[in-house]
Amino acid sequence: MTQSPTLSRRSTPSAPTLRKSKQRGADARAGYTFLLPWLLGFIALTVGPMISSLYLSFTNYNLFEPPKWIGLDNYTTLFQDERFLQSVGVTVSYVVFGTPLKLAAALAVAMLLNSKRKGQGFYRSAFYAPSLIGASVSIAIVWKAIFGDAGPVDQGLSFFGINLGGWVGNPSMTMPMFVLLTVWQFGAPMVIFLAGLKQIPADLYEAASMDGAGPVRKFFNITWPMLSPVIFFNLLMETIHAFQIFASAYIISNGEGGPAGSTLFYTLYLYLRGFSDFRMGYASAMAWLLVIVVGIITLIFFRTSKSWVHYSGDAK
Amino acid sequence: MINRRNFLTTVAVGTASAAALAACGTGSSTSGETGSAENPVNIDYTWWGNDDRAERTRKAIALFESKNPDIKVNGNFTDFAGYWQKRATEAAGGGLPDVMQWDLSYLRDYGQRNQLLDLGTVKINTDAFDKSLLPSGQIRGKTYGIPTSTNAFAVYYDPAKLASLGIAEPDGSWSYKEFNEFLTQVGSKSNGAIFGGTDYTGVWWMFNIWLRQNNIEAFTEDGKLGFTKDDMKKWWNTTAGLRGTPAIVSEERVTQLAPKSPFGSNVTATEVTWDNFMAGYLSDSGAKELKLVPVPSDDQDNLGLFLKPSMLMVASAKTKNKDAAARFIDFMVNDPEVGQIFKTSRGVPASKTQRDGTTFEGTDKLVVDYEKSIEKYLKDAPEPPIVGFGTLEASFKRISSDLNYGKVTIDGAADAWFKEAEDLIKQNA
Repeated sequence: MTQSPTLSRRSTPSAPTLRKSKQRGADARAGYTFLLPWLLGFIALTVGPMISSLYLSFTNYNLFEPPKWIGLDNYTTLFQDERFLQSVGVTVSYVVFGTPLKLAAALAVAMLLNSKRKGQGFYRSAFYAPSLIGASVSIAIVWKAIFGDAGPVDQGLSFFGINLGGWVGNPSMTMPMFVLLTVWQFGAPMVIFLAGLKQIPADLYEAASMDGAGPVRKFFNITWPMLSPVIFFNLLMETIHAFQIFASAYIISNGEGGPAGSTLFYTLYLYLRGFSDFRMGYASAMAWLLVIVVGIITLIFFRTSKSWVHYSGDAK
Repeated sequence: MINRRNFLTTVAVGTASAAALAACGTGSSTSGETGSAENPVNIDYTWWGNDDRAERTRKAIALFESKNPDIKVNGNFTDFAGYWQKRATEAAGGGLPDVMQWDLSYLRDYGQRNQLLDLGTVKINTDAFDKSLLPSGQIRGKTYGIPTSTNAFAVYYDPAKLASLGIAEPDGSWSYKEFNEFLTQVGSKSNGAIFGGTDYTGVWWMFNIWLRQNNIEAFTEDGKLGFTKDDMKKWWNTTAGLRGTPAIVSEERVTQLAPKSPFGSNVTATEVTWDNFMAGYLSDSGAKELKLVPVPSDDQDNLGLFLKPSMLMVASAKTKNKDAAARFIDFMVNDPEVGQIFKTSRGVPASKTQRDGTTFEGTDKLVVDYEKSIEKYLKDAPEPPIVGFGTLEASFKRISSDLNYGKVTIDGAADAWFKEAEDLIKQNA
């Protein structure tokens, strides 16, 4: 591949270049043709709605009548809206507590499943299963029943003399409940961690053992740095994901964000504003604020990643 | 080994394909122009309610289809809260179901914004309707909704529960003070096993009735609030001494039990609400008998009560099958056999033909008798409330619930509600 074109270019410079660019054009055309269905979908279903939502965020729009331009009013009133501030608080505490715990669980189980033992395939699927069904509405309903009054959790705890009652109706217990729900759905990051762990050469661990390193040392000096790109990827994806929690909050709180606003997640409030109160412009402003904030957080992650994410082939 | 370039490419490809998969939604729709027994017209009908209503509605639909083989009705139902969010989504997409069960709270929002069909333009027989009731389905002279039935506010109680506690049955002539004492008595005599009731100050319509008892209009003609912050504080103060006691079920329990009501779950002995909930409460609680008495009032000559269309039938402005929709609505509001199916579970039938064709026995008779007994106190049915009223009602409920959780003071609650209400009125001005 590398030899022959160089040779031919030397002998007859013009013709092959032409042929090559023709070839390139054909490749590009074929490429774009294959890309077309996706591209059309992307423009019609993602870019288009985003642009119109950006426009709507500067308007007063009630779904039925044409939008009225009001400039930055939606954005400024947001910060005087107590329910909005409450929804930010709820969501941030969910992201801050839920995401690290979920990743820790995912990594711990991935490491357990990485070693060779009997029935490994079964365990892997068993641990992955919750995240497969996790996004579905049914799980939220089951979760509500488990944590409800006289549900298994309530009865289990009262067996140990702890009487919290149901968690669903108690404003101070709903957040732990949601954090548990997300931790339990660690399957997707776990599979990615597992793939990452498989990539770490066994001889590194062997060499470390020879030097007398224990499991803790092996983890921090081999596993963590070797896995850091995967950890970074999971952290980024799960954080973005956590900001978008909606379905389970909607189901468990009957679409109201209660009790006492304790499950008023950002996207739920956005939805209520748009579809219950017919304030689509306001909801669009909220959506764009979320995009901007998630964008900034992603940027911070990428900037700080240089100090702790190691790619092979990088100069240290 | 992982290197940066491969890693990022993999991420990019993965994300892109996930987006492509997500974009692959499917949608289909069918519409029939003309109907015949072999090739019937399809219309969609949606309602809110519980299993009891679903079963009755399915019976009514089957009956309609057997009498009208050229029309097929596709029924679909959800609970009340989800119902309106679903309708809003459909309205935004231009695809409301052909025929819908409707609530007075949302009639203005959709009617005034041209989402509902002017039923004056189709054939629906309203001869058998009380003339004072029809205006509540009308906005600016156009008829958007036909009432199926009427309901009035009442206090429910479970006589068996009261008997077991040794408490005499109430006759309904009580002041707020007496009513509160009654609730306290239930809670203390049962040692907290049965609560007196739910906090009735969290129900918008009860607040509205209290305003009428004090000769205050809830909304002025130009779409503003007719009451003051002080009125609202006074109202929420009515049960201030009962919150957190066995007189009133805790908000935590109410939330746990949702979507069932505490009364339907046998947690309380009374409930202040619409009289047409009888059938639902009976099936939820399994009680043999539930009784109804008038709401409390400090002025026994003015109970503030009125008959409200408990539900309305409306059609989508964009329906392709106007005539089929009209025939179905006409059938649901007028047919005597439909009255037999629903009895009083939608309320007392609004059309005289339906009312006369229905036999009311047992608990259904209690509801009809109750509405007869309060006849002399009844005032005009309210006009369709202001645009955005559904939102106001929901935030009234939410803020009352925060009050019961102890998350706000009464002053703070009134401030919060007024702020939202004024904002909403300004938005829709």
